[in-house]
Amino acid sequence: MVERSATAGPPARTRPGGPAAIGAAYDFVDRHRVAIAILFLIVLPWLTPYKALAVNILIYGLFAMGFNLIYGYAGMLSFGHAALFGLGAYGCGIPIAKFGIPWFLALPTGVAVAGLAAVAIGWFATRSRGIYFAMVTLALSQVVYYIVFQMVWLTGGEDGLRGVSVPALDIFGLELSLLDPTAKYYLILIAVALALWLFSRILQSPFGAVLEAIRENEKRAAACGYDVNRTRWAAFILSGLFSGLAGALYAIHLSIVPIETLHYFTSAEVLMMTLLGGMGTFFGPFVGALVYILLQDVVTVVTVHWQLVVGILFVVLILFFPRGIWGSLLHWLRP
Amino acid sequence: MSLRLTRRSLLAGAGAAAAASPFSFSIARSQETPIKIGFPVPLSGPYSSEANDQVRCAQLAIDWFNEGASRKAELVVRDDKLNPGEAATRALELIESDKVDFLCGSLSASVQLSVNQVASKRGVIYNSISQSDTINEASDFTKYTFHEALNPHMTAGAVARYAFKNAKGKKVAYLIADYAYGTEMLRGFRNVAKETGMEEVAEVRHPLGTTDYSTFFPRIQSARPDVLVVVNFGRDQLNTLKQATDFGLKQQMQIVYPVILDTQRFAGGFAPFEDVIGGGNYYWTLEDEHESAKRFNDAYRKKYPDQGVPSAYGALGYAGVYGLLNGVKEAGGAKTDDVIAAMETMKYDAYKGAEYFRKCDHQAVQSVLILKAKAEDKMRDKWDIFEIVDTQPADEQFLRTCEELGHKA
Repeated sequence: MVERSATAGPPARTRPGGPAAIGAAYDFVDRHRVAIAILFLIVLPWLTPYKALAVNILIYGLFAMGFNLIYGYAGMLSFGHAALFGLGAYGCGIPIAKFGIPWFLALPTGVAVAGLAAVAIGWFATRSRGIYFAMVTLALSQVVYYIVFQMVWLTGGEDGLRGVSVPALDIFGLELSLLDPTAKYYLILIAVALALWLFSRILQSPFGAVLEAIRENEKRAAACGYDVNRTRWAAFILSGLFSGLAGALYAIHLSIVPIETLHYFTSAEVLMMTLLGGMGTFFGPFVGALVYILLQDVVTVVTVHWQLVVGILFVVLILFFPRGIWGSLLHWLRP
Repeated sequence: MSLRLTRRSLLAGAGAAAAASPFSFSIARSQETPIKIGFPVPLSGPYSSEANDQVRCAQLAIDWFNEGASRKAELVVRDDKLNPGEAATRALELIESDKVDFLCGSLSASVQLSVNQVASKRGVIYNSISQSDTINEASDFTKYTFHEALNPHMTAGAVARYAFKNAKGKKVAYLIADYAYGTEMLRGFRNVAKETGMEEVAEVRHPLGTTDYSTFFPRIQSARPDVLVVVNFGRDQLNTLKQATDFGLKQQMQIVYPVILDTQRFAGGFAPFEDVIGGGNYYWTLEDEHESAKRFNDAYRKKYPDQGVPSAYGALGYAGVYGLLNGVKEAGGAKTDDVIAAMETMKYDAYKGAEYFRKCDHQAVQSVLILKAKAEDKMRDKWDIFEIVDTQPADEQFLRTCEELGHKA
């Protein structure tokens, strides 16, 4: 295994005197991370208060995973990922709502639109570093927000895009209606599972290794002959494709696209989820999305002062688990 | 005899008892599941005081229905956080998990449109209680969509007709919050301005949530309007009026609002609001002329003695739930199609006199009040803040026509 992230230690190494069972379990989870992640997501809807919430966790988990490629693995803090998520949503929603294109064709359209946006935004942004990268991505995403906001005839502007209908599909006599919450969850899970598998392959590829090499020491990676800017650009585009897929699924899930998906607050949310779960870990973003969304939902039902409660909890989590929840867990169990 | 009761024997016994008893029918019905109404409103955030009053008032409509009803109604409240994505998720929860029969609520144009999408696709009736023109239009309307609130067209129209008729001159200026609410209201004012021959001398837009309005006033003052129409909501309204009073704008021009907020008037005192004219769906002194308003106010005073009188936006929570449950009463059950049919034909007097839903767009045809803020020395008591100076009657001529909205006749 080439990568040296928190999830992937060198295989079959046990700490002297350490419990061998934990080490073995760690290796097992690490080796089958995609399968185990999918197994967990299969049972997720029975662990949440209602299925629409589980779908949100799934979608935001995918979004955070895509964001993590840039932030956790390549070490670039993007503050403009809302643009990619939102354009994925509008790119999928507009063909359905305005042109009556079936959702299974609109879905790849949304991903493509987000991908194109990532090509453009990434081209500008990956030339800068650190805080400048964050500022450029933020500025460009605000440009996207403003354009979509003004194009009322196409996007619905401030009212949001409505009319993203997904009629029932007839697959070999079996009717599949996305109005059924369980069917919708598992259909979206299929897309997410494919993305998980692909993401894992990317991390394991030489490209994934180069990405982390750049994060750890950019000059040294360049000295080794890697084109740093192009690698970062490619990572940004890949990240945009995953974020766009998440956005497209969001449009299908809610049958609307709120303008808020493009707001910079969405960029902050995905950063928060990634931090909570554990940056640079394979499954951390899903754990982060789960905790972030579930906590807000449950606390909101109990008190209108949910922001206070949730805020304090987040501060505590970040203070005591700087590696994130999943990241810390992996750190402790790591042989 | 064994005392062990099985479910089967209990059911058999109940069945036999039901068959034997003359009261069987009502007993069996009272054990049915309650009629559930999902109520997503922004309990947290900038409109929380209005939203919380809506919950209080909606509960009164539930109480009204439950008195003597065999099958009870129940309110399921959720915080939509003034966010359409959150509202859509909550609407899904209410429909799929809580299995609500109806939805009512929301306090923003985009939020109500998103709840409307989710509800209508799943065949659930939604009665919206927040201002929007779009929800009446053919693009968003479905047979499950009802709109109890006023819409910007009728509100701005009513206020504009009154204000322009009574204006000292023919010059009008606009100060508008730059978002959908502002734009839709402005359209309504402009229509009437054109009809009545008003001359527009300035249009100034400000971002939502502006705290300093002093930079806008010189432009307006130099245009020398006779009427200044201000369109903004919540805290923005109070901030504008405080600063306009300090700048002496009221001596030079009549300030007019499409919706004047009692909640902000209570928060800000009489001075900023004095002599300002604005529209409203409700004001509590309607109880002097309408039995229904009296009944509503009394129920409110009894249940919430610390809260004084119901606010106009709160009252919409009452009217929205009342409309749905009145439909249930008339239909004799909560079956969706029956309730839609009943609501389309019923006349109801929830809290302000007779209303009905227009067939083509399910807009509640209702009166619009023109209110004028009272000076302190004219107030009867601390709740007496406005005077109803005029009332636009409930009439379809004040709505856009069905054809204009894109509905086929």
